[in-house]
Amino acid sequence: MLDHETQRRIELFLFEEARLLDSGQFQEWLKLYEPQGIYWMPSQPGQTDPLNVASIVYEDHAILSIRVQRLLEARALVLTPMPRTTHLVSNVEAEQATDGEFKVGAAFVCVEHQADKQKIYSGRHSYQLARRDDSFRIKMKRVALMNSDGIHGPMAVPL
Amino acid sequence: MNIHIPQPDTALTADDIRGLVRPDHVHRRAYSDPAVFRLEQERIFGRLWIYVAHESQLKNPGDFVRTRLASHEILVTRHTDGNIYVLQNRCPHRGARICMADRGNAKVFSCPYHAWSFRPDGTLDSVPHRKSYPDAFSYDDPQNHMQRIGRVDSYRGFVFATLNETPAPLLDHLGGMTDVIDNLIDRAPDGEIEIADSSFILEYRGNWKLHLENAADIFHPSFVHNSSVQPARRAPANASMLDQDQTREMLLANGFGTTEWEGIQLNGLPGGHAYMNNIYTRGVLTQQDADPVAVRYRDALAKRLGTDGMARVLGVNRFNNIIYPNLVINAQYQQMRVTVPVSVDRTLLYIHCFRLKGAPDQMFHRAVRFLTTLGSPMSMIFSDDVEMLERCQQGLEKDVGPWIDISRGYGMESRDADGSVSGAASEMPMRVQFQAWVNYLTAEAA
Repeated sequence: MLDHETQRRIELFLFEEARLLDSGQFQEWLKLYEPQGIYWMPSQPGQTDPLNVASIVYEDHAILSIRVQRLLEARALVLTPMPRTTHLVSNVEAEQATDGEFKVGAAFVCVEHQADKQKIYSGRHSYQLARRDDSFRIKMKRVALMNSDGIHGPMAVPL
Repeated sequence: MNIHIPQPDTALTADDIRGLVRPDHVHRRAYSDPAVFRLEQERIFGRLWIYVAHESQLKNPGDFVRTRLASHEILVTRHTDGNIYVLQNRCPHRGARICMADRGNAKVFSCPYHAWSFRPDGTLDSVPHRKSYPDAFSYDDPQNHMQRIGRVDSYRGFVFATLNETPAPLLDHLGGMTDVIDNLIDRAPDGEIEIADSSFILEYRGNWKLHLENAADIFHPSFVHNSSVQPARRAPANASMLDQDQTREMLLANGFGTTEWEGIQLNGLPGGHAYMNNIYTRGVLTQQDADPVAVRYRDALAKRLGTDGMARVLGVNRFNNIIYPNLVINAQYQQMRVTVPVSVDRTLLYIHCFRLKGAPDQMFHRAVRFLTTLGSPMSMIFSDDVEMLERCQQGLEKDVGPWIDISRGYGMESRDADGSVSGAASEMPMRVQFQAWVNYLTAEAA
């Protein structure tokens, strides 16, 4: 088990990520990722293979930066009007992996409001975090959407 | 106080339908009137051959796929006799839905309510406490079976069904569109394809025809997808470690201009089918010599087809092959979309990809990547298309207008042996689709 301070710092890091997404600071959000960091949202429950099985998102920093620019251009049709979100992160359980790296699990709920529609997403996050200076950076974030294999409308803001 | 009195459900006449389509305009009711939708379910989705499954999902006896055919929920099954059956997913006893899985294998389908059990061909296998049923109750009586509906036929592994008891032959309906199925299979070094296990189901709040029209519309990408094209243009090449730049190239490829509008050819076929030439001309999906995966793939393919045969197969570059009314195939990217209408303003899209047997694994990884980039709910391309389809529906539901325009390129198309030909800036495919639509909806029952 991690010491209280490390656990708390990891929680605050996840809360920071949620706040950056909620406030539309997507460039700042991307800076939380390692230059080789990956954001992965599988399409199947329990999916371990991002190559032979389709993913909702499987992107590294380079592709995410295109996605972030798109979010900030505010010209994307699916983003007009820009959705407002509340990302809730809870049930944070962290453990030391290798030296200076942490495996973190958390539950999430995200409420997205756009025009006359409100949607709710939920599921579990799994992180591989690396310690960088006095904070952390994301090497991998896996977003296990509860209804990953369900029927979806367009989704815009990262969970 | 106003009291809304529902209008009696008046059946639409052939003249009503003809009155909704002009050569260059369509009435908004074609997209928004529930009575039109009911007629479409009866005369298009209830009479034409509709794709329901791929045989690679039905390899073994008991394998099944659950899907929809017109307003029915159906099971497409492989029975022990080797044949494929289409069954209503409904117990003849008390009417309950039986199967709640989208695919799987079942020796029998057992109703959880009172345990009537059925074989994959729909026949009754057993009922508990047989002696309490009347003497006249027979296992052989079709009314005690899961109801078989319509006819089933397949073309090279693509399984189609129809509720029409006297349908035209499947090959007549497919016409020249068999070429794209042939081409997809020919691209496999082993001459065989498998549908991928993973797929997406997207829902949009709009009429089913809007997606079909959008798939034949090469004019919109420059506008609708500009918000992805511009960041892709600014992004450095080959920066991603994941996909050999496939995502960025696919985004870039949506930046059409006059060159593409005037260079790409559209083809419209009788029956409502349509296709266009290749629109993606760069990147790892186009089999460049410098790409070691493509080299290995072509070596494997040339072993079966010879160099000339391979060149012929890979030279086919038809994009968005639309098999009316609900199938869109892209052979060169191993992709397929199936449109499933749910109501006049709600549509499901099943988005699949295929594995080319005998091809390098990386070829399949690229097909999966293509599926994600274009077909995922978080696609940076298709999510904007869906937004426009929904906005069209919202506008078409308003009692204004009432005519909308499909006139671009009208009178400028030419004819060839197979049908109509036009430049990519033309709305010819929509006009072809609506001609077929009128023909199907006004045809008397065969």
